[in-house]
Amino acid sequence: MILQWLKRQLTLAAGSSLTKQLSGRYINNTDLLAIDVELTSLDAKATDITSIGWVAGKGGQLSLSSCEYFVINTSAALGQSPVIHGLTHDILAQGKPLAVSLDKLMPLLQSSVLVFHNASLDLAALNKAFIELSLPVIDVIYIDTLKLAVYQLSKQHQVLPTNSATLTVCRQRLDLPSCPEHNALDDALATIQLLFAQFEQFGLDQTSPLSQLLHTKALGKYRLGETQDR
Amino acid sequence: MTAIAKQVEDFLSTSAPFDMLNESMRHDLIRHADLLYVTTDNTEHFKTGEPRLYLIQSGQFSVEDGEGAARHLSEGDYFNYAAILDKRFYPLSVHVDSPGLVYSFAAEDVCALLELVEVNSFFTGLRNNALQNHAIADSNSMWLYKPLTDVIDKAPVAAHGNTSIADAAMLMTREKVSSLLVTANDKLIGIVTDRDLRSRVVAHALDTALPVKQIMTVNPTQIGNSRTLFDAMALMTEKNIHHLPVIDHLSQSPIGMVTASDIIRHQRGNVLFIIGELTKANNLYELTRLSWQLPHYFAAHAKRAGDYDIAGKILSQATDVMTRKLIGFFQQDNGKAPMMFAWLVYGSQAREDQTTGSDQDSGLLLASTPNEKQAAYFADMTDYVCKGLAKCGIKLCDGNIMASNPELRLSVDEAVKEAERWVAAPTSKAIMHFNIFLDVRCAAGDASLFKQLQKRRAPLLQQKMFLAALARNSNDVSVPLSMFQKFSYEKGRKQKDTIDLKTRAVALINNIARIYALADGITLPNTVARLESLSDKSELSSKDAANLKDIWVFLNRLRWRHQLENKVTDNLVSVSMLSSIQKHQLKAGFKAIERANEAMVMKFSGGVG
Repeated sequence: MILQWLKRQLTLAAGSSLTKQLSGRYINNTDLLAIDVELTSLDAKATDITSIGWVAGKGGQLSLSSCEYFVINTSAALGQSPVIHGLTHDILAQGKPLAVSLDKLMPLLQSSVLVFHNASLDLAALNKAFIELSLPVIDVIYIDTLKLAVYQLSKQHQVLPTNSATLTVCRQRLDLPSCPEHNALDDALATIQLLFAQFEQFGLDQTSPLSQLLHTKALGKYRLGETQDR
Repeated sequence: MTAIAKQVEDFLSTSAPFDMLNESMRHDLIRHADLLYVTTDNTEHFKTGEPRLYLIQSGQFSVEDGEGAARHLSEGDYFNYAAILDKRFYPLSVHVDSPGLVYSFAAEDVCALLELVEVNSFFTGLRNNALQNHAIADSNSMWLYKPLTDVIDKAPVAAHGNTSIADAAMLMTREKVSSLLVTANDKLIGIVTDRDLRSRVVAHALDTALPVKQIMTVNPTQIGNSRTLFDAMALMTEKNIHHLPVIDHLSQSPIGMVTASDIIRHQRGNVLFIIGELTKANNLYELTRLSWQLPHYFAAHAKRAGDYDIAGKILSQATDVMTRKLIGFFQQDNGKAPMMFAWLVYGSQAREDQTTGSDQDSGLLLASTPNEKQAAYFADMTDYVCKGLAKCGIKLCDGNIMASNPELRLSVDEAVKEAERWVAAPTSKAIMHFNIFLDVRCAAGDASLFKQLQKRRAPLLQQKMFLAALARNSNDVSVPLSMFQKFSYEKGRKQKDTIDLKTRAVALINNIARIYALADGITLPNTVARLESLSDKSELSSKDAANLKDIWVFLNRLRWRHQLENKVTDNLVSVSMLSSIQKHQLKAGFKAIERANEAMVMKFSGGVG
């Protein structure tokens, strides 16, 4: 009983602090950073990052010069993952150490609201990397385009149709052009475009506060670098 | 270092004119570019700051820029290029009809690229709504204009200058060649031919152990590989030689040899050659056998844009030859015609823009109304000729517009009366029926009879009410562009993105050219010729006429290429098979046709559509 109460208080606290962090953030002044990582497996605890890509944007506009892409020199077991993203051992061997890419990413993580399509997996992988590299603990705010899509879909469907919330299908639904899949940078770019289109779909304009999306549960905060009890 | 996403690279490397940039130039352009998701509430981008060039990737917008009136734009369209070209600020307003992605390029980057001819002419072309095609200027190219690199198929047979005459002769025998290149350090120093071996060795009983350089022709006439077969022929005629070494124009080393027999061989490959063969046919069997080779000849030899331009003409000429031959065969068996007649051809054959799918459209013009016996002769003759043409691969006409139809065998007087009836009651049903007869040419028989008819008919067909009716009728067909300038495709086809270039575009230009030509009293049937010979009095400006001509030529290329490459006889060209620049050209062409058509309706029917 007490445990439950505590849990609720904690969630409330988390919720309210998210609201606080979102105050003053509007569509036209919020720096967004869409990130995508390609992984060795879908198991959050055991996965390693094989490549990472990101792109920054704000208010429906993005500068292509902010696009970054790193192939990570990992020795982890790749499992079946090369089938998906095409990154084989040979390619990875020529990659950069994970620390180099995260160094570059670090300053952007705290100044921007992060954008993911399926945030939980990508965040878990980043978290694992933070811990392994003993990077300082930081708090980030994120938007999950998958959750935004699911929110819209659940208004029409009791049970979501299979594959109705993949990045590609979500983009198709909003008339965005098709693009190559499973490359971290392309997926990041595709995700931020999807978010722009979703803002439009949710009726947000340039002066809308970001907190208008709180009810969709697509906004969240996350502590990177701390062993999380889940 | 900034990375480049594949989707960006993919899109820009297929968007003319940036598709022709090399990778590093394209990457520079991309690195400084922005990508906008344009919605109704973020169009301020366009109002402030330095002018930029915009390229739409998705969505639909109504744009007013330096180009004047609002244009509806969508995927693949550019805007605000006028500001970049003129290096000045024009007010830009963008109304979002459906939100989407728009690339935005820095003026500075685009200005740098305008130094490139292709990029510059692309944007100036967009601006002038002209068709951007340099190739059209050199459209009189033919098979003779094949570059030499396409002609030489064999590495040169060469030997060192110190090789003995005997070894050289053996080498030539083994390689089955009549000439040998003599080289030093990969450079050409001389040539030895069969004739040299005869006149300089055998005739003088020279020792064949001597080095070949003693008998070679030093510094022979040569030609660069970037030249054409025609250049080679001219040079060989001028120098009276039968062997011409071809030199790589960069390395200066010999890469092959053109001989007189090569030229004869290529001449046989010329489609004009088959017309010569057709004229030599002695009977129906020979004629049909040769005729059936026509499509193969086209497929094998028409490679360059210029070839497609004359293909329709050649096919029409070939059909004329077949008709004349068939009439000749019939008269051999049945005796001379009982009176003067002219064999008239209509529609595409008259305009000389036949394609492989065109059917026969013909009629017979007689000096006077025939009696029963004479009528029977002409019935037999026309039946024989039309069936014969069908055997030669020219389809019978579904609509029975053929001389074998007794209604289409008229005396000159009857034909004039018929024209009077057209002019008196040009209902749209009547126009549908007689439009085809307005493009007419005499393919065989007595041309003077046809001239009589034309002379008597021209003033009738020039009447204002008649032209107004024709113009109104032409307004019923529209170009295949949607409101947002997207291509609209034929419905119910297996392939989703096809456009019938014949009915949706070529026919419209034919209509426009026909009406202006009739108004101007021009009796030529050919669309290009009509456009070229409009007088100063014509209401179609010479600039518009020239533009329509270019578009017509371009469309014809596309459909000929479509037919030959896909081995089909329809005109359903798939848009996805076109290059990015061709799509732009096609769109520009459609827009120009639409404008010309509207202007024509205004002029002739006072705007009453």
